[in-house]
Amino acid sequence: VNASLAAFIGRRVAAALLFVALVSSAAFVLVRIAPGDATTDLHLTRGGAAAAEEARARLGLDRPLLTHLGSWVTGLLTFDLGQSTVYGRPVADLVKERAGATAALASLALLLAAAIGLPLGVLTASRPWVAAAVAPISIALVACPPIIAVLVLLLVAVSTGWLSIAQGSYAVPTLALALPIAAMLERLHSQAMSEMLSSPDLLAAAARGVPRGRLLWVHAARQALRPVLGIAGAVVGALFSGSLAVEMMTSWPGLGRLLFDAVAGRDLFLAAGCALVGAMFVALANLLADVARAVIDPRVRESA
Amino acid sequence: VVAAVGVIYWVQATRNGNAGLAPAGVVRGGRLITTHRSEPQSFNRYTSANPSEEMFARLTQATLVRLNRATGQLEPRLAREWTASPDGLTWTLKLREGIHFSDGMPFSSSDVLFTFQVLYDARVKSPVAASAMIANQPLTVRALDPLTVVVVFPAPYGPGLGVLDSLPILPEHKLRQAFQAGTFQKAWGVTTPVGDFAGLGPFMLREYVPGQRLVYQRNPQFWRSDDQGRPLPYLDEIEVQIVPEQNTEMLRLEAGAVDVTTSHVRAEDLAGLQSLQAKGIVTLNEAGVTINPEMFWLNLNPASTLAKTRPWSQRTELRLAISHAIDRRRIVDTVFLGAAEPVFTHVTPGYGEWFLPDAPRTDYDQTRARALLESAGLADRNGDGKLDDARGETARFTILTQKGHTVRERICAMIQEQLQAVGLTVDVVALERAALIPAIMGGTYEAALFQIEFDSFDPGGHLDLWMSSGDFHLWHPRQPKPATDWEARIDELMLKQSTTLDRAERLRLFAEVQRVLGANLPLIAFAAPKIVVATSARVGGAMPSVLAPPVLWNAEMLWLVPAPAGASGK
Repeated sequence: VNASLAAFIGRRVAAALLFVALVSSAAFVLVRIAPGDATTDLHLTRGGAAAAEEARARLGLDRPLLTHLGSWVTGLLTFDLGQSTVYGRPVADLVKERAGATAALASLALLLAAAIGLPLGVLTASRPWVAAAVAPISIALVACPPIIAVLVLLLVAVSTGWLSIAQGSYAVPTLALALPIAAMLERLHSQAMSEMLSSPDLLAAAARGVPRGRLLWVHAARQALRPVLGIAGAVVGALFSGSLAVEMMTSWPGLGRLLFDAVAGRDLFLAAGCALVGAMFVALANLLADVARAVIDPRVRESA
Repeated sequence: VVAAVGVIYWVQATRNGNAGLAPAGVVRGGRLITTHRSEPQSFNRYTSANPSEEMFARLTQATLVRLNRATGQLEPRLAREWTASPDGLTWTLKLREGIHFSDGMPFSSSDVLFTFQVLYDARVKSPVAASAMIANQPLTVRALDPLTVVVVFPAPYGPGLGVLDSLPILPEHKLRQAFQAGTFQKAWGVTTPVGDFAGLGPFMLREYVPGQRLVYQRNPQFWRSDDQGRPLPYLDEIEVQIVPEQNTEMLRLEAGAVDVTTSHVRAEDLAGLQSLQAKGIVTLNEAGVTINPEMFWLNLNPASTLAKTRPWSQRTELRLAISHAIDRRRIVDTVFLGAAEPVFTHVTPGYGEWFLPDAPRTDYDQTRARALLESAGLADRNGDGKLDDARGETARFTILTQKGHTVRERICAMIQEQLQAVGLTVDVVALERAALIPAIMGGTYEAALFQIEFDSFDPGGHLDLWMSSGDFHLWHPRQPKPATDWEARIDELMLKQSTTLDRAERLRLFAEVQRVLGANLPLIAFAAPKIVVATSARVGGAMPSVLAPPVLWNAEMLWLVPAPAGASGK
């Protein structure tokens, strides 16, 4: 069992590394081949054409794509992510700062989403009137892109004053990220709970006299977590993609905003660095979820 | 009765953002919160030509002279007075006495010499140097004594000392070592400790939190005082929050979390802000109409694909027809919700005395437009309702504009619709800014709608656009010799205009330029939006300008009304 688990983890780690390498290299190549480069805005300044030419040579943008990519990969092997042209700072420092800010926001949003979504899933599966009230709201929130959620929350914040929109306040960005995910968790958990409640082992437990509360909140809720765990990677991916809009609209200094600035400013090293860190987060979440599922359910590691 | 009148006056003045209060009502202290879209790449003005760096430099450093962005006049700054030789080539500037940098070190003419040495140094390759050239030659600067410098122009220059407006004076004692070591380009980067900076501006950087804010505190050494002898600046601190999104910025202003926004108010925000102004929450300051309207132009380079495949596109009649075919009032009402003035060229009333009100106009007249198109050789030859050229091909061209810029996209949609009404087929392609600029500057486009930002009113400072050899002669840049007679005429007039020192003659020459421009329309403008700047109602002393930065250019004169007891912001 241990050998098969170790082999499973080994395969998953290799796949994660390949995924991270592909995503970051693709970001580098896509930004490099897109029209315009980091010197574009210099063309709008007086004497800009000559300055842009000089800057292109200095930044190595006149080199062939493969040479450029090769030098980036070589740097990567020595943990040198290059220098940002938009910010004038080492990319490693920037992504470290911003990834921390995004991770803090995403963790808080995930905790909040789980704290709201999972208990609501139990309630909606077990109480029809709660389901009637909550399900339409959940469906609307699942369908709501984070940019709409953040706009609505900002409008509520300004018109009521209930939520702070001051620089650095967690309220609006956390809620904007958490609510759609809470709704997704509620829907998924509710469905899994409904199936669990009619399963033979739960019916047997009920027949043995296990109290209904314990049956619901301990036995069924725990077993229903398995499909929720299965989408952990997708949830982390959704958090990172959602953070792009949320961070822009709330001026949150995170990875999403940094990536937007990098792409808009054709900052090759920064875009690749952001993609690298984002892919690492997603790969790590997927890896942990896969391992957890493999530990819980041996069939997973056998089938993999 | 007197007391009642006094109370009413005070209430009115407060409602109007205290703009009407006498200087005696000024309150010192407080922290003003403002916003900026992007972060600085450097705190070294001479290694970056970005507007961000210029804005931050204006807070912490000072120039010899300054363009007053509200009046358009040059005013003394570190130079208290100056005289010019009769030929306008030699300018003698007397520096203020007893001035110190923010770190306490004295300022003298050697700092001025050092600044110009850095500016033109081949190793530094300053992107600012091109804006400090006259006739492609650098200025010569020498010191007569610690408080006198002589600036020699290589050629007569109409705008005079205006050329010095964007050149902050650097502390030699702080930067000489980096300059000599050849590391000046890396000096004063964004990771430099704040204690290593020194400047002659009203504020000094106290804190920079990347991605979030920059906090500036009053420079205790600042040399300027107000009319009543009180030291400036009035504010204790300015916090610049990095807010990349304009919608967020507006929401924060509405919520009272921001005092001054980085850019002017968009037409779609105006109605909402007017109701907030009526409630005494914000103050709207109108600065006039822009000097940088959106401009439409066709690629007039004879070597372009457009010129080769569709020769009719180069005809003056086509440009005049396009201008006649556009209902500018509809653009003003629809795109700018009435907050704009119809214009015909990019020289708008915002230029003040430089603007020629009776320049040729191409008023909305579809009949005239059709006649002009016919004279350009375009007619509906196959009865499909679309004009065709002499070869029977549909007359069409593509306008490139900026994706996501709602004003540009809406104007293009209206151009497309209104030109269709006279039979011209137009395609609109919106590109991301980073893709659009290389297309325009590289000449690989047919027509474009875009805006070029100028930082001064004096057209003599915009030769790159006017002269056929200029990089910003948008419709056909960098011509070895003028391709058309009217461009040759503009070259001749602008060369005289920019080298003549007699202001009346300069005005007359520029009026003539506008007549040539209006008759040939290489650049067509449709509307000049009003520049309205919003501040929170507690901000006093704002002198809004159509030039950027609209309020912070005069940060030392801004002050805050203290919040009434018991009041609190959201």
